Amino acid sequence: MQSGHAPYKGVRPPLMLLLFLAAAGVLMAADQPLSFSHAAHIEKARMQCTDCHSGAKTRDAAGIPSIRRCMACHQFIATDRPEIGRLVAYWEKQREVPWLRVYGFAKDAAVQFRHAPHARAEIECARCHGDVASMTVAVPTVIHTMGTCVQCHRDNSASDDCLACHY
Amino acid sequence: MPEGSTEAGTGTQRRTPQWGMAIDLDRCTGCEACVVACASENNVPTAGEDQAAKGRTKHWIRIDRYYEGDFPNIRVRHRPVLCQQCDEAPCEPVCPVNATYQNAEGLNVQIYNRCIGTRYCAINCPYTVRFFNWYPPEWAEPLGLQLNPDVSVRPAGVVEKCTFCVQRIKRAKLNATAEGREVGDGEIQPACVQSCPAEAMVFGDLSDPSSRVARLANSRRAQRLLEELGTKPRVFYLERAD
Repeated sequence: MQSGHAPYKGVRPPLMLLLFLAAAGVLMAADQPLSFSHAAHIEKARMQCTDCHSGAKTRDAAGIPSIRRCMACHQFIATDRPEIGRLVAYWEKQREVPWLRVYGFAKDAAVQFRHAPHARAEIECARCHGDVASMTVAVPTVIHTMGTCVQCHRDNSASDDCLACHY
Repeated sequence: MPEGSTEAGTGTQRRTPQWGMAIDLDRCTGCEACVVACASENNVPTAGEDQAAKGRTKHWIRIDRYYEGDFPNIRVRHRPVLCQQCDEAPCEPVCPVNATYQNAEGLNVQIYNRCIGTRYCAINCPYTVRFFNWYPPEWAEPLGLQLNPDVSVRPAGVVEKCTFCVQRIKRAKLNATAEGREVGDGEIQPACVQSCPAEAMVFGDLSDPSSRVARLANSRRAQRLLEELGTKPRVFYLERAD
């Protein structure tokens, strides 16, 4: 029955709305509670993405680290910086940092995304998330549409059954 | 999945399973544990009093009751009815937007994003196991907190139905792939199968002749519901002939 599907032909009008929302996401991402620098951690401190986003290769969700993970290092490292001072303020109030989500699927997209199989297929993080390693505050530079997903699935002979993602 | 393609991230060829189910009616007591388990696993909301009065309740699986004899010498037979995942599904050709089709594993798929809510499929289904969302689903607080994150909450205006708990099929396949093995027989249990206290339901790969479901489907007791319509259902009901 797959053959009955019309091939996907790029961006269609309803997707313009998604693009707009993605653009709005850029503005939101700039309003993170702390101006966390990915570059300082990855390029300078030589950390891996999975040091903080621990589920990225093994679980459904990459995950946002708990403040405990931050404080494991920052109790001792760079404690004199003003942003670390603000992090410590959350820590002393026993609060998590209310990070804003940068990437994600809208609820009505009905997409079930799992990180683990993509990591097993050795898709680089940057393929979907852009060059986060050199960003300060992470911004969504890669626009995710069904076209980008389906194209990559076809290029890698992964399933292009609708049910692969939508259920 | 087309023939010869691979599961994402493995690069290995594998046999495409053909999912099916066997239900032993001689074991079913009609307790409806499957109905409750299904609603809870698949985020199926209750319709509410007014809508229920209009016949707009949603149950991806229901128990049909058949009464034999006259009171007081009466006998009740129970039959759990879920989407039969037909090979020749009447719901599929009537969909104008291809929102429903049969995939390579034999699942009769409903894609909510594609569905435009014509309801032709629900009308054409002889088993009446397809349901239209007349209103956005609602859960009284705090029941909304128990929603299953692995299953989409379907919006108003689309048709939904039993998926054979595709999220559990996917999960089992992901776990198996991560551990570098095949999915074992009986490893995948849809919510209804898992919850059945009489173990009347069996789910598995019909194309594997050694699987429990394939052996039950080949049993002399096996019948299919409304088989005479030529729908070729993948749900086999086992019942002794008397």
